[in-house]
Amino acid sequence: MKIAVVQFPGTNCEHETLVAAQSAGLSGEIFRWNRPAEELSGFDGYVIPGGFSYQDRLRAGAIASKEPVMEALREEADRGKPIIGICNGFQILVESGLLPGLGGVDVALASNVMVSKGEIVRRGFYCAWTTLRHEAPRERCSGSFLLKKGDLVRMPLAHAEGNLVTADEKLMEKLNEEGQVVFRYCSETGEVDDEFPVNINGSRENIAGICNPEGNVLGMMPHPERSSFAWQLPPTDSGKGAGDMNAPGPGRMIFESMKRYIEVRR
Amino acid sequence: MKIYLRVWLKIPDAEAATVKNTLRRRMGYDAVLSDLGKERLWSIEVDDSVQDPQELARRLARELVNENKESYKASVDSVDFEKGYVPVRVGLSIEDGEAVSTLNRLRNRLGFDMVRGVERSVVWKLALSSEKPEKTAEEIAERLLINPHKDFYEIVT
Repeated sequence: MKIAVVQFPGTNCEHETLVAAQSAGLSGEIFRWNRPAEELSGFDGYVIPGGFSYQDRLRAGAIASKEPVMEALREEADRGKPIIGICNGFQILVESGLLPGLGGVDVALASNVMVSKGEIVRRGFYCAWTTLRHEAPRERCSGSFLLKKGDLVRMPLAHAEGNLVTADEKLMEKLNEEGQVVFRYCSETGEVDDEFPVNINGSRENIAGICNPEGNVLGMMPHPERSSFAWQLPPTDSGKGAGDMNAPGPGRMIFESMKRYIEVRR
Repeated sequence: MKIYLRVWLKIPDAEAATVKNTLRRRMGYDAVLSDLGKERLWSIEVDDSVQDPQELARRLARELVNENKESYKASVDSVDFEKGYVPVRVGLSIEDGEAVSTLNRLRNRLGFDMVRGVERSVVWKLALSSEKPEKTAEEIAERLLINPHKDFYEIVT
């Protein structure tokens, strides 16, 4: 099982994303955006990692979404292959229309706005550990294939534009009904509170990750590759490993899910 | 009364170059888009009682423009763009945090009590040779320059 970690100019998480995927039993390589796009068909799955593709020029993800590799990825998605977009990768998937995958650009990932007690307490870039509640049923989505509904996963995030907004008032209802909301920001005990710091970026309905209707494309703002090993967890976390550098962290489940999804598809 | 500050880079604008390249090389506008420029546009609402708006515009520019790398042009109550391209103004349709904090900074930190409101937008100047340049500009705005879930655009006439 071989995956491509797609690298654009300005991507900066490709190496650790590949290491995290390898720790889950996947093999793969970093696929530069200017390689012949048709070579993507030789892979079983794809990850678009985090960073600042094209320096976030125009708006995050907008320029990368027009690259030929994205058209090739759309074709591979149509064949049912899994794609996971992390942080900037999520922004690229949104700008390309692959997420939520309803036919156009259906949402935006706007600048973070942190609200507490009715007041804006902070805006813009934020970096912190967060807890995600898995909202979709087991096996609904390629990148959370092994997670049960209600499972909690800890991972860090670091972004300025992760605030999911939409001008389509009926969209949230549709995403909820179709099981396309995969992760929500929640407290460490799993309660969803729409105030900062639980809703860490002001995202509608605390949404941290969504999938397409078919479930094979997942986008999420937090970074699973940054909690794929127990040693990456913060010092206060009870799951932090001592000594074993290969002990799994919670984020590895995302890559293990992708691997399992590929196995099941075969 | 409204003071407008048109601000542009006098060093090469990498963002404008990237947008131009994307439109020409990736989106099929190489035959019709000959050039593209970018400006920031500050629209600053001030008290009507201001005696010398041009002087106030100069003072505001000292705070909002970095003249080491940027140039600007100020105008009062209307903004005009040169002929030869289609100006497409893009702004946020959701709350603009930077505009809010700029208003707060001008009024509460820098003593510009006469400032009532601040609006921030980007003007993309498209040099188009198509039969209907404004129609092409609209298409470009909708295909690339905006995300309709957070941005608006208008062709500045």
